[in-house]
This record gives sequence, structure tokens and C-alpha cells, in this order.
Amino acid sequence: MAQLVLKNVFKRYEHQKKNIFEKKKVLDFAVKDVSYTCEDGEFIGILGPSGCGKSTTLRMVAGLESITNGEMYIGDVLINDLLPKDRNIGLAFEDYALYPPLSVYENLAFNMRAKNKSEEEIKQAIDYVAPLMKIDDLLNEKPTGLSGGQKQRVNIARAIVRRPGLLLLDEPLSHLDGKMRQQLRQEIKRMHHEIKCTTIIVTHDQMEAMSLADRIIIMKDGEVQQIGTPLEVYDNPENEFVAGFIGEPPMNLMKSTIVKSDKGFMFTFENSELKVEVPKRYTEVVRDGMKITLGVRPVDVIIAKTPVNSTPVPIAIFENLGDERRISVRVGDMLLSMTTAEDVYYTPGEEVQLIFQEERTHLFDPETGERIRPRGEQ
Amino acid sequence: MAQIELEGITKRFGKISALNNINLKVEDNEFFVLFGPAGAGKTTLLKTIAGAEFPEEGLVRIDGKIVNHVESKDRNVSMVFENYALYPNLSVYDNIASPMRSKLYKKDEEYIKKAVNKVTEMMKINHLLDRRPSQLSNGQRQRVALGRCLVREPNVFLMDEPLAHLDAKLRHFMRGELKEMQTSINSTTIYVTHDYMEAMSLADRIAVLNHGEIVQIGTAQEMYYTPCNEFVACLFGEPEINLLEGKKCVCSRTGEMSLSIVGSDKALELEADVRNVLAQHGADNIHIGIRGNDIQFAFEDLGDEWIKGSVYANEPIGNKVIMTIMVADKKIAITCPNDTVADMDQDVYIKLNLKKALIFDGNTEEFITRHNIDSFKKQGKGVQ
Amino acid sequence: MEKRKVSIGNILEAIGRNLGLTLFAMFALFPLIWMVICAFKSDAQMYNTVFRFTPTLENFKAVLVGTDYFKAFFQNLIVAGGAVIITVLAGVPCAYALARYNFKKKEDVAFQILSFKFAPEIMVILPIFLIFQKIHLYDTYFGLIWVYQLITMPLLIWVVRGYFEDISVEVEQAAQLDGYAWYEIFLKTLVPLIKPGLVASALLAFIFAWNSFTFPLILSGFKIQTITITALRYIASDTVHYGQVAVASTIAVLPEVIVALFIQKHLVRGLSFGAVKG
Repeated sequence: MAQLVLKNVFKRYEHQKKNIFEKKKVLDFAVKDVSYTCEDGEFIGILGPSGCGKSTTLRMVAGLESITNGEMYIGDVLINDLLPKDRNIGLAFEDYALYPPLSVYENLAFNMRAKNKSEEEIKQAIDYVAPLMKIDDLLNEKPTGLSGGQKQRVNIARAIVRRPGLLLLDEPLSHLDGKMRQQLRQEIKRMHHEIKCTTIIVTHDQMEAMSLADRIIIMKDGEVQQIGTPLEVYDNPENEFVAGFIGEPPMNLMKSTIVKSDKGFMFTFENSELKVEVPKRYTEVVRDGMKITLGVRPVDVIIAKTPVNSTPVPIAIFENLGDERRISVRVGDMLLSMTTAEDVYYTPGEEVQLIFQEERTHLFDPETGERIRPRGEQ
Repeated sequence: MAQIELEGITKRFGKISALNNINLKVEDNEFFVLFGPAGAGKTTLLKTIAGAEFPEEGLVRIDGKIVNHVESKDRNVSMVFENYALYPNLSVYDNIASPMRSKLYKKDEEYIKKAVNKVTEMMKINHLLDRRPSQLSNGQRQRVALGRCLVREPNVFLMDEPLAHLDAKLRHFMRGELKEMQTSINSTTIYVTHDYMEAMSLADRIAVLNHGEIVQIGTAQEMYYTPCNEFVACLFGEPEINLLEGKKCVCSRTGEMSLSIVGSDKALELEADVRNVLAQHGADNIHIGIRGNDIQFAFEDLGDEWIKGSVYANEPIGNKVIMTIMVADKKIAITCPNDTVADMDQDVYIKLNLKKALIFDGNTEEFITRHNIDSFKKQGKGVQ
Repeated sequence: MEKRKVSIGNILEAIGRNLGLTLFAMFALFPLIWMVICAFKSDAQMYNTVFRFTPTLENFKAVLVGTDYFKAFFQNLIVAGGAVIITVLAGVPCAYALARYNFKKKEDVAFQILSFKFAPEIMVILPIFLIFQKIHLYDTYFGLIWVYQLITMPLLIWVVRGYFEDISVEVEQAAQLDGYAWYEIFLKTLVPLIKPGLVASALLAFIFAWNSFTFPLILSGFKIQTITITALRYIASDTVHYGQVAVASTIAVLPEVIVALFIQKHLVRGLSFGAVKG
């Protein structure tokens, strides 16, 4: 069991441009100034689009990549120069990489045999882990006969059978189909609950990170964007990127100009009649003519059942998805979408009035993408 | 603009039969979705209509004419392939322009330019016109492929998973664009997908395929509210519909026939119309299909009809929480508000809203009935 | 970005690298240079120190003037060129069929074609000689071109087949739906995609055919002579005219060098596959 600390970690790659006439070395930071602390027993999700440096970070923790700059500690031990095998880390990759000629049992035992553990100890460890990952009846099978989901279970079991201080999972679910993925997600969560091992999962799927992790680290272009619990990053995004990345269907992010009218500040949109009142709490931070990005989640826009004081807009798209209904309206050339679980039906063209949930609208700076917060709010 | 009829289509690859006696009629101007799990034969069926595959048995009719022996170029169909099938040696512009440069559908360059610009603007790829397919991301390639399909006005559009490789965010918007475009497209469209949301959102009618056979044809509403069997019920909805084993029993309070869930002795009262159908139906072994939205939960026992279980997993996914509950070794997934917090293995009580439940025969897995069944059967497309 | 540092290490590295490349260039080019030098030497000086000699055109005169060397050169061109043309015309459809269609024993057929390349020419030459005499193909253009297919065809089929396999069937189907006829699809869509492999393997086929020695030695010699055979002539009973051999060889490699330089780009890319990815 261990705490993992990353202090100002950098990773730089050197490319050489292929050109005979000028030899140019290009330096690229895959990871820039990443610092965070995983508490003992915590489940951390590193989330980001492809190429954001999340896998590189994980590989640095595992010791498969060198660190250009910075410090990493497991517990109190500086692990920068420790060999991967000495870090006491369990690792499960996206590809299963099981040894095909060995049975599942032998696959699990392989690593412990290498460490000269007694057969009894090995059996004990496997008997503990196998039911956790629901592979107890597969122990005598060969990997070739297993389904993708079963292989991944074995793969994860192999990573935890040695009871590592730190468990690293790199996109463990991305090869699996929907149903299998959902099931294994639950198994992983329960396994973590049971052995309480500090765990880091790397994923590009926001739903996976949200449902598994205690805290999520969101990365983009090698930099950490936000660290927080699933609910924090969902309700309180630091910037436009996080806001758009978390949540399905995605948050509506609409370019808007603030106009001061006799009714107070209003959001206005290019090529659109729609005007929306700026929530009171923002009145101190906005000014006339200011350009902002308005962010509001599809569940936080509501169609008024009784007439309210807002511009009617025609419905562009109505989709009945069974579990929920999605309604979109055109705002200039942008689509503003809403979802509701209520049994309501509209036809395209029908005019409706929209209510924005005031306390759940976010403002972002269109240049930097940073969140604009009401005065006095953290 | 065309009507498409398939009559007894059977297609085999070696000994494996990919399609088995498919009968289908797609109306003029209809948006028809072929939906099913991987390997169901959706793509093969689409290619059969396109003329890229030839069936061993059966007839393909386009506008009443048998086209079994018509080459695909003469069928006047346009298609999006799942693997894009772009010409690697041509730029994005030339790829999209390609259908208008063949002898058959020749257009002058002026017209081509206008058409390409229009379609690329819609697909938001107008900044990529000079690139080669190898320089594009998968999402961009897919939009180019969609553009090449939509640039022409054929009898039929055939689309094979045109949104599958886009990321969730882009897929959401492109689905919207396609849906909005439907009104302006004047052609029959046959659309293959494995994403139930695409199917429900876009389709006038859906055909569910499995193992090369049609399981059910109907509107999205029919699929969702009155699926013909458990297989179809499981395909629509997220999380997947819960199927609970139940038995007929007599309620001690009302004396009427009611249902009890295996592993629990609580008798669940039924609506009168469901009760009548069930009374006539022989099967004793009943499966109750109930969606996550239609189950209430509480952390304390609220009395009758509340069934005890334990929390197996509690997964926040943003705007809601999916809680999986173990009831008598059976996992039940329910949707909860997004601030729900629960500990693993904590006791929890659930109540099924049987008004919304689907009743299946436990042996054949066929649909028997549901409450107010007529209102779902009749409405069809009119619901919207 | 930090400034590029010019350190002594960097300079040494550059010197070392260039030295290595120079040495390799000498190693690779030396036989050619040697051959050219020999061409300008008289027989008397042939065994003298390499770089000190009086250049003479005697050898050129002996080889080129009043002999049928040019005839042999053009005959060689016809035979090798003809062989390549037939190979391309027959091999590309064959490669397509092997890539696209499923038929029984497909892989066996494909391997059989490749295995023609395994057999040493000398092994099959006698039966072919006898057959050719019977059916009057001995010492004809057609006979040689035909038998050259053994050398040229397998290579081309295997390279081009790989290229066809890399192109997804859907690209062809898409072109069909776009309204193109089959020959248009072939010329406009498929040919550009297999071009690197086609050019590279055709060039290699040309080189193999051009250099072939055994077949023309046995199967022709009176009406038709290739330059590989004419080079034998300079080996007289008493002496070997190395200078003349060198002249004949120098001229003989010219077409290959020119063609290779011209399509060098395709050669490297074409044989390294994987260029078709769309």
C-alpha cells in the first residue's frame, strides 16, 4: 500500500526532422509540469484525448519511460532511478500479453515463480485473487480459448496477484464491447474496494473515468487541466476544455456577446434572436459588449411549460431515444441541445421558450478558455 | 426516390449463411435503419442492395424492377462504407467530386465545385479539401465518405455505420445534422448502425437483425415499448433493460393474480389489462423486463412491494448515477439522480413500476404484454 | 527551444559519419570504376598499376566498329523489353485474381508461380532446348521472351499481389457506385495505387531479363544474340581481351543505370510495401 507523489514531472521527446538540408532538432514536451498526489488506497483516473500525455505519465510511473525532469515518490522513496521491477508495481495494459502456452493458473503464477515464492504461497495468492476477478473456473484454461473480457480479467488478476503497492491500468477496457466493458468496470471497482490498493487507470473514455475513479486528473497537451472528484469536474469545470470533455451528451458551449439592455445584462448570439438573461451572480464580472462562451449542460436547459419572459425559438430537432428525449434548437449556426427524461413530445418547427438553470450556467473566456467566476466564488 | 423490396434474400459465404430469407419493403422516401449486433448481416444486406454482393436466392427490386443482374453502377445508389473506402490517391475534393465525374453522372466542373463546397461546409471539412485521405483523422475520413455519398442525388442512400468512428461529441452533433437534413433529402435512405440512439433518433422504421434474420420491423417507439422478444428489448436502452425471473402467484391482500420475483416473497400487483392477458397465457414462468428509469430505490424499507437488495456498484456518469443492485444473485441496474451516494454492499430497497414493465414468456423469451399496450401499438410514428 | 550547441563532440560525430559513408561509397562503386578504367587500357597495360596508364580508345574501336555489338544491344533490348511488357500485361491481371478471388488451391497456385524462381536455370534448360527445337522456337525473339517469363513473372506477381491485397474491396465497390465502368476503375483507381510496386518490380524484372545469360546462351546464338553472350567473344583461345570485355560491359550496364536513377524513388518505396494505406 502506498502513496504516490509526482512533483513537477516533465517528459521531453527529441525528434529529428528528416531533411537533408537542415538538421533541426525539435523538442516536444509530452508531459509538462505534472504534479499530483495519490493518497494511499485511492482510485485515480487519468483522463484525456489521445496524445495528451496520459499514457506517458503512467509509463513514467511504471519506470518504462525515463523522466526528463522532476521527482516521483512512492511512499517516501524517490523512484526516479529505480528499475521497474523494484518499484513494486502491478501493470495491466490494453493488450493482454498473456503467455499463450501457459494455463491461466500458470500465467498468474509466472511472476511469483520468478521471485522464488513457494508453491503454497502462490496457490494462496491465486485463490484469493481469482474469485475477485471472477476467473476461478478458468484457471486450467489456455488463454487462446478465452474471450476478450476473460483475457482482460486474467490480465488484471496477474497484475494484482503479487499484491503490488501500486496498480496501474492502461486503457484496460477499450478492446471490449459495450456490455462486457460495463461488467468489467464493476468488477474492477469491486476488486479495488476489496484490496484497497492505490490504483491509477488511464482512459480516454470520460464515462469510464467518472464511474471508476475517486478523483480524476484531466490532461490535455501534456498539462493537467483539473484534478477533482467526478462530481466536481462535472459540476464545476475549471475551463472550457474540461467542460466540453466531461459529460454525455456534451455541454453546450455557445459563443455569445453580452449586451446591456434596460432589463439588465443579456447573452446575445450571432445571427439569432435569442436573448438570455445573465444570472444575477455574474453581473459584477460582465460588461457591455464582452465576448464570452456560455456553457450549459443539456439537462440544465428546460422548456417552459407555461409562458415565461423569453424569446420563443423553433425546435430544429426532436429525438426520442426511449430513456430520454433530446431536443435541439438552432442558435445562429450553433445547435443548442437539451435532454429530458420526461415523456414530452415536440415536432420540429414548434416554438418553445427556454429556461436556463441560472445556478448551473458557466461562463468561459473565449480566448483562454478559463472559467469566469462570479466575484467571491472560489 | 425509390421503393426497395427484398424478397427471400439468402446469401451464403461458403457454408456460413450470412442472410437467411430476408423479406423487406422500404417505402419511397423512408429513412430505414438496419439495426443489430455485430455479425448480424447488416452490412451484407446493404451491399446486396448496392449490388456489391449477389444473393444466392431471392429478388432485389428497386422501384418494382428486379435488379439482381443490374451492375451496381447502373442502380443509381450511393453508399457510405464503414471503412470509408476513399481513394487514397485523390484529394478530399477529388474524392467527393468523383461520383460527378464518371460518364454516368457527368456534371460540369462549375456545378461540381458548388456541390462539393455545399456538402463540405455541412460536414465541416471545407478546410481539408487539398489533403489526402492518409493525412486525415478517422473522424474526418468518415465525414469525407459521408460527403461523397451525399453530394449526389441518387435513388437510394446506403449508409454503413457513417458515424461509428467519430468521437462521442462529434457523433452527437453529426446525428443532429443528419436528422435535420432528413427533411431536405428527397431520397430513400437505408442506414446501418449498432448504436440504438442513432437508430431511434433517425429512423422512420427500424429492422432488427440477428444471425442473418429479421427479428422485428417497426417504429422506434414499437421497438422500445413493445419489443417482440427479450433480444430486441435488450438492444434498446442504456443501461440495458433488467430481466427478472418471476412467477404467477396470488396476492394475499387482493386475492387477484399477481407476480412475485424469484428470490423474494413479495407479491407485486398487476394492472387489470395485464392480468387478463396473463391469466389466459399458459406459461407460469414469467420474465419481467423493466428499465432502470422505472425502478424506485430507497435506503430504508418502505413496506409492501419494496424488495430488499444490496448495492453491487454505484457508478456516477455525469448527469446520472447507475446503481447496480443485487437481488437474489441477480444484478439490477437502476438510474438515480447524479448526487446519489451509496456504499458497496449497503442494503437498499427497490420498487418496480409494473405499469411500465414488459412481460415476457420465461421459456420462449417472447413478448406477452404490457400495460396499455394498445396505445403503443397504434401510435407508431404519430407519437411525435 | 534552446539554441543548438556546436560542440567538439558534434563535429567529431559529423566527421566520423562522413568518413564511414565515403568508405562505403568507395566499396560500392569500386567495381564500376575498375571496369571503366579497364575499358580505357590497352591489353599491354592491363596488368600494370591501376591508375597509371595511357588512355586509349582501341578497345572501343575493337568492340564497336565493324562488329555487330549494337545489333546485339538492340536485340537484347527487344528481348528484355518484350519480356517485361508481356509480364506486366499478363502478370497484373494474374496478381489481381490471386488477390481478390477465392478459388480452390489458390495459395498452391500462387506458391507454384513463385517456385519457378527457385529452380536453377541450368536445370530446366535442356528439356526446354529440346522442346524449342521441336516447335521451332529455337533462336527466335518469341522463344526467348517466352522463356524469360520464368525469370520476370513470379517476382512481379508477388509484389503486385501484395499491393492489390492492401487495397480494400470497398474502394472498388465505391468506384462502381460512383458510376465507373470496370476498366475505368482499374485504370483510374487501382493502377495509381499499385504504381510504386508495379514500377519497382517491372524494373527489377527488366534488369533480370537484361542480365540473363544461361537462356540466351543455349536457346539462341545465331540470329539472335544478346550482349551477355557477345561478351564471351572477347575470350579468345590464347588470351582474354579484358579491355574489350570492360567496354562491352560498361555499355551494357548503361540502360540499367539510367532507368534505375530515373525511378529510384519508386524503387525504394515500391519494394517496402505499405504505401497504399488510405
